[in-house]
Amino acid sequence: MFESELDGGITISLEAAEREVLGQLFDQMRQLLHELNAQETSDPLEAMLGMNGSTQISDDPALARLFPNGYSDDEHASADFRRFTEQDLRQQKIAALSDVRENLNDHENPTTVSPQQAQSWLKAVNDLRLVLGTRMEITQESDFDFDSDEPEVNLYNYLTYLQGTLIDALS
Amino acid sequence: MTALPIEDIQVNVLTDVPWITLVWNDPINLMAYVTYVFQTYFGYDKPKAEKLMLDVHEKGRAVVSTGSREEMERDVAAMHSYGLWATLQKDI
Repeated sequence: MFESELDGGITISLEAAEREVLGQLFDQMRQLLHELNAQETSDPLEAMLGMNGSTQISDDPALARLFPNGYSDDEHASADFRRFTEQDLRQQKIAALSDVRENLNDHENPTTVSPQQAQSWLKAVNDLRLVLGTRMEITQESDFDFDSDEPEVNLYNYLTYLQGTLIDALS
Repeated sequence: MTALPIEDIQVNVLTDVPWITLVWNDPINLMAYVTYVFQTYFGYDKPKAEKLMLDVHEKGRAVVSTGSREEMERDVAAMHSYGLWATLQKDI
């Protein structure tokens, strides 16, 4: 869990089992992010500037949730928006995974979390909840049984708890 | 100070049509998280951020910012980086 210190800093303390599960989930997230296709471009400048994003939303519902359309009513504008922003967003998500990995690899309890790492944790854990929740087909809060003892529901509830302790520590 | 030629004023009126960033409800993002994002990214105070979050939750969506198209594209990209479901459109 995350805790705030008297000096305003944030720390994280994790059991060995939590480190292992989170490490596996973050690795799976990294793999998922690599499945997001870049558009073929013959222009190295375009590729360098990250302007070679796809123009189509992913067929994978989880990737579609992480990289949604920018416009609800304009397909052409959405395609352009995606082409110019998607690769940058993917790089941000990969960078956040590297940040949290640093804390995971530091096996001390509690481990100090820098302000940047705290933001990375916030986004990376939320992305895990979005992917897991999409896979679990959580569509309406009232319809989903969060008290079920299914492993994936336990995992989802754990991530919700972890995210909650971080929001509390940041607030 | 010089007066603007009429042509320039008309061009300004046409290009000043405001755009809006909408955040849509979703069943996964935590209410406290959405409030935190509105406070952190937009710099809104807690009451305003909470009211917007509740609007999203209860009405299905809320306008969280207004401005030029470029500014709204920046805001939508930022919302996506937090995992919030956001879109932009002309304010009609």
